[in-house]
Amino acid sequence: MATYIARRIIQGIVVLLVVSILCFIMFRYTGDPVVTLGGVYVTDAGREEIRKAYGLDRPFYVQYVNFIAGALRGNFGVSYVTKVPAFDLILERVPASIELAVSAVILALLLGVALGVTTSLKPGAVRNRLIMAVSLGGISIPTFLIGILLVMVFSVYLGILPPFGRGETVTIGFWRTGFLTWSGIKHLILPCLTLTGYQLAVILRLTRAGMREALAEDYVKTAWAKGLSPGRVIFRHALRNVLIPVVTMSGLMLGELLAFAVVTETIFQWPGMGNLLLFSIYESDQPVIVTYIMLASVIILAINIIVDILYAFLNPKIRYD
Amino acid sequence: MKKGALLFLVTGLLVAGLFRPAGSAIGADSLVVANDVAPRTMDPNVSLTDATIMVMRNLFDPLLTRRGGSGDLVPNLAERYEQLDEFRWKFYLRKGVKFSNGNPFTAEDVKFTFERLKDPKCCAEYLDQGNMVENMEILDDHTLIVKTPRPIPWFDQTLDFVFIIDKESTEKRAPGDMATKPIGTGAYKLIEWVKGSYLKLEAKNDYWRGAPPIKHIDYRPIKENATRFAAIMSGEVDFMSGIPIELYDKLDKNSDIDVIRRPGRRTIHLHLANRPGSPMADIRVRKAMYMAINEDEIIKKIMWGHASPAAQLPDPASRGYTEKIKRLPYDPDQAKKLLAEAGYAKGFQIKLSGPNDRYINDEKISEAVARYWAKIGIKVNLDIKPKAVYFPEFTKGGLDVAMLGWLDNTHDLAFMFGYMVHSRDTDTGQGSWNGTNFSDPDVDRALETSSKILDREKRRLALEEMNRLAQDEKINVIPLHYNVNTYALRKAKGIQFTARPDRWLVFEEFSLK
Repeated sequence: MATYIARRIIQGIVVLLVVSILCFIMFRYTGDPVVTLGGVYVTDAGREEIRKAYGLDRPFYVQYVNFIAGALRGNFGVSYVTKVPAFDLILERVPASIELAVSAVILALLLGVALGVTTSLKPGAVRNRLIMAVSLGGISIPTFLIGILLVMVFSVYLGILPPFGRGETVTIGFWRTGFLTWSGIKHLILPCLTLTGYQLAVILRLTRAGMREALAEDYVKTAWAKGLSPGRVIFRHALRNVLIPVVTMSGLMLGELLAFAVVTETIFQWPGMGNLLLFSIYESDQPVIVTYIMLASVIILAINIIVDILYAFLNPKIRYD
Repeated sequence: MKKGALLFLVTGLLVAGLFRPAGSAIGADSLVVANDVAPRTMDPNVSLTDATIMVMRNLFDPLLTRRGGSGDLVPNLAERYEQLDEFRWKFYLRKGVKFSNGNPFTAEDVKFTFERLKDPKCCAEYLDQGNMVENMEILDDHTLIVKTPRPIPWFDQTLDFVFIIDKESTEKRAPGDMATKPIGTGAYKLIEWVKGSYLKLEAKNDYWRGAPPIKHIDYRPIKENATRFAAIMSGEVDFMSGIPIELYDKLDKNSDIDVIRRPGRRTIHLHLANRPGSPMADIRVRKAMYMAINEDEIIKKIMWGHASPAAQLPDPASRGYTEKIKRLPYDPDQAKKLLAEAGYAKGFQIKLSGPNDRYINDEKISEAVARYWAKIGIKVNLDIKPKAVYFPEFTKGGLDVAMLGWLDNTHDLAFMFGYMVHSRDTDTGQGSWNGTNFSDPDVDRALETSSKILDREKRRLALEEMNRLAQDEKINVIPLHYNVNTYALRKAKGIQFTARPDRWLVFEEFSLK
């Protein structure tokens, strides 16, 4: 198991390097940061001054090597827009994104599995057919539409939920949390629901399909025949095998929601990482963009390694060496 | 059955518990404000973007400032000033002003601020302002003489967005600290700043101009149009700047909300090239391109009526604006005739460049213009890009037709012209925003001569003449329209404020009935 983890980590580092080179190249061609840095009234001479001061006149590979050397020391460069270290800028936003993404994934997981199981037991029942139809909506309606609809219904017409922001937050150490105040939780509801929509639908359908298949298997029939209680048959025997694809999905989802929940964060003015990424791309803030994408890669790689390890616990037959 | 009923009851209670009318700010002397862009930093010498300067104006003071409604330049930290000669200006500073850390405001702070502006690593956007000061001679704690490297008649006009910082504390602090903890002489101090979420400001009771009426400001930047609209509709915010034009009517009709419109100062226009040998070198061609555009239709259909037609680059508040310049009429037939006269009856091909994420409906305007020109036989290659890619291209120059929206903060046409209309000159730095490399020696000469005139009135006449020359005789740009600034207020709050021409929200100018 240990060698397996070590191997995965080395693969991860290679992926990181490739990603960083690609980012570096790509974002050089999406806008000249000197104009961002120089602002509206900059003269040609001023621009040259700025170019030299930031080392943007040196050849590409020199800039890249400097960047990697700095990164190894924890210095990912300074944001062109706000002049603060890029890494700190992103780190500030992490708690907000984590709270939103984790809430959405947990909600999607709990509800998705629960509903998936119930709909798989009596597929023909009216209630279950209704649930499946609504889940179809969750998959096909785009996120931004769900978000804006929720805002219109709950904030504008009913006036019961706030349409933007995180509300009152409590800072514990460096972590700014919205879980500890009623206002914070209220502000979390709409963005969380928006993000959950699609994920919930997918997990529901996945669980349902898996359960339908598992319930028809011989070992389950044996369990029923043995006289085990319905709870044990469904949850301990059938569901456990269905959970592997569900866990994979959740892992992927968590990674994606953490790093790229851009649309939802924009609609709800949620001060998360996705919001920052969008803004940085608009303003050609290269240090932040490159740092961000590398960080996102680290997160997604880490999550996937953890998911793979979880498999071994879910299914004892899986061995890593 | 019982379990189901219990679940239903609990859910019902939860929902009922949530049902509280989303209240507005607590207290009669506080205000919740929503704007469309967030400030980038709390360091006042770093960013010239409107969003940041506007917040800085509440936390810091400039030497001179503009009065709310009219935009006239009035004394602020400088009680009075005079221009000694072409190069030198003398400022008499106000006494008894303190920074928020208790340090007194003196001439040393002014000198320190301007010197800091010369450093490209910290204050790149203010480089030009920094380089406008060659040196500062301090006569005493409250008097100083500024010397400029060349005659700059509009030097005082640029002082309303240079904010003075405290020398003593800045020298001791790390740059990162400057970006988050502002120490200024302004009417408000910063209580809390959660980046991208909100800013909390609190009034200073001992502010030198008198304590501002509204004690607490909760400033919330909301980028997404629909969300900002929802925020004011639901009462989450009391005041909103920047109504999305498609949602204007809904807010107008709402009985709880007042809307305010004010002609803005940003001129949306198209720069034209006049490269010798190209079709646009012929003034008849440029005139034809101007007359082929139906600006009234653009305002009505694309801007939803929220724009006013522009006949020239500056707006009425700028020195150099003249009523004598009129828009050329929309006349596609005459345009075709002019093209034929110039020898281009069969038309020609050009590229129209513009942004798609900077000005209101900028992409749609460019598309409309391309269609108008297609009707008179000009084939247009539309080159629309995000501003991060477009503006560097623009500043490099060499485009055929390029869209720009310029807001003249200095109220002085020479400043604008120096950047955008003067021929590109890497030595003097002029023409750095001349996207099409338009070049006309008569216009250049008119600009240079006007800079040497000290007498205010004579200079104004010279600027007006230069404006007329460039626009009527040379058609260097096709002006389209001025934007309109819109605000929405919740009636119940009783907010009194006068919309400023520069669109800043200066909270000491606000009060509640």
